[in-house]
Amino acid sequence: MPDANPSTAGHRENDRSGATAVAIRNLSKSFDDVEVLRDVNLEVKKGDVVTILGSSGSGKSTLLRCINWLEQPERGSIHIAGERIGMTDEGRAMSVKALARVRAKTGMVFQGFNLWPHLNVLHNVTEAPIHVLGKSKHEAETHARALLEKVGMSHKMDAYPNTLSGGQKQRVAIARALAMQPEVMLFDEPTSALDPELVGEVLAVIKDLSAEGYTMVIVTHEMAFSRAVSDQVVFLEKGLIIEKADPETFFTNPSTERVRKFLERND
Amino acid sequence: MNASAWQMLLEGAWTTVWISGISIALGVVAGLIIALIRIAKIPVVDQILVLYTSLARATPLVTLTLFIFLSAPTFGINLDRNVAGILALTLNTTAFNAEIWRSAFRNFSRDQREAAMAAGMTPWITFRRIMLPQMVITSLPGLINEMSFLIKGSPAIAVIGIVDLTRVTNRISAVTYEPLPPILVACVLYMAVIGCLVWLQRIAERQANRLAV
Repeated sequence: MPDANPSTAGHRENDRSGATAVAIRNLSKSFDDVEVLRDVNLEVKKGDVVTILGSSGSGKSTLLRCINWLEQPERGSIHIAGERIGMTDEGRAMSVKALARVRAKTGMVFQGFNLWPHLNVLHNVTEAPIHVLGKSKHEAETHARALLEKVGMSHKMDAYPNTLSGGQKQRVAIARALAMQPEVMLFDEPTSALDPELVGEVLAVIKDLSAEGYTMVIVTHEMAFSRAVSDQVVFLEKGLIIEKADPETFFTNPSTERVRKFLERND
Repeated sequence: MNASAWQMLLEGAWTTVWISGISIALGVVAGLIIALIRIAKIPVVDQILVLYTSLARATPLVTLTLFIFLSAPTFGINLDRNVAGILALTLNTTAFNAEIWRSAFRNFSRDQREAAMAAGMTPWITFRRIMLPQMVITSLPGLINEMSFLIKGSPAIAVIGIVDLTRVTNRISAVTYEPLPPILVACVLYMAVIGCLVWLQRIAERQANRLAV
């Protein structure tokens, strides 16, 4: 279990074990009349890796997208490092500026990479730190170079996204999200749009991050990967969390028949 | 054609270029502003802009120019004919540019916007840093197309007495009784100006290709 060792997790000096990075309480969400999330509760501790599994349509991507308010739940609350996102404490919608400020505490990696094609690799990574965090160009670039080194993309600093492979794009997207020094990294099926031979390089980067103590919530279909990196595995079915366990228990001795069937099919 | 005829032609060309140039610059910026206001869907304001857009697009340039120039005194405004000409061209081209900008905004990648939001960018920063630079590149072919339409429509301003490149050929042939040489030169000069725009357009399209991920 990767503990948040301060010597390896230099990005988070004030890390206290046991502190909560993400707290999701009684979350419910519908699209039209379909309930996609039903009373979901989930707590992610600082330094923990939580993977969310489930068949397609189970609501796992929606749950992830609620965490940074790309989707708005109807009921319930989400706190990022103790601060509520989307709504004020009085229950009113947050101002656009306040919402952006809380969102900046999360970093997101999308299935489709979503890089900005008019900016080269380096500037994709420095854009938000400069214009959201107010970092100087020099400071942002120094940090970006280190992050691109970490994800193995420092040789493509000046390249534009359309010249990169899918795996390379996703590694740049990971560096871009890390550049915000987020409290939590959110991964929305980060390898689902990749050719099979490119999946490994992206998973390897995410594994490295987990070893360094980053807090991560990952929606994925990669079972072996989930088992290797998770501190907690969550299984979602029709918007309900039906199983929540450590990876060992989840993959060898799940408590529900549904999960057992799911694992058999995905073996 | 003698030297003074050549000089008149060049002066006419210059009039066409500067009046069109100012109208183009104003029209591109005003078009963007109108597009953004329309995207914000402010009640009443939106309806007024829809009305403006359809009126400006439906009115011939000559008619619009005459209307502006002749109606100004009724409102107690003594309008300089060059100002009236610029106003007419700008009002016309702005309406078309607004539609070009609006479609660039509406078609902008939702994925890229989500990435910007997820990174903590406010809508304004997202617009300025992520959307606008790409909207400029994707709109440029359409905008340049509209610019060349404006230049080719600019002889309409001669109706209120501005001596542009087309009007000046008339004046020259009234003296020389040889209408063909000045009109030929005028054609070549128009082609040179439009040629510059076409060249710009080609560069713009090459830039746009890079954005196709």
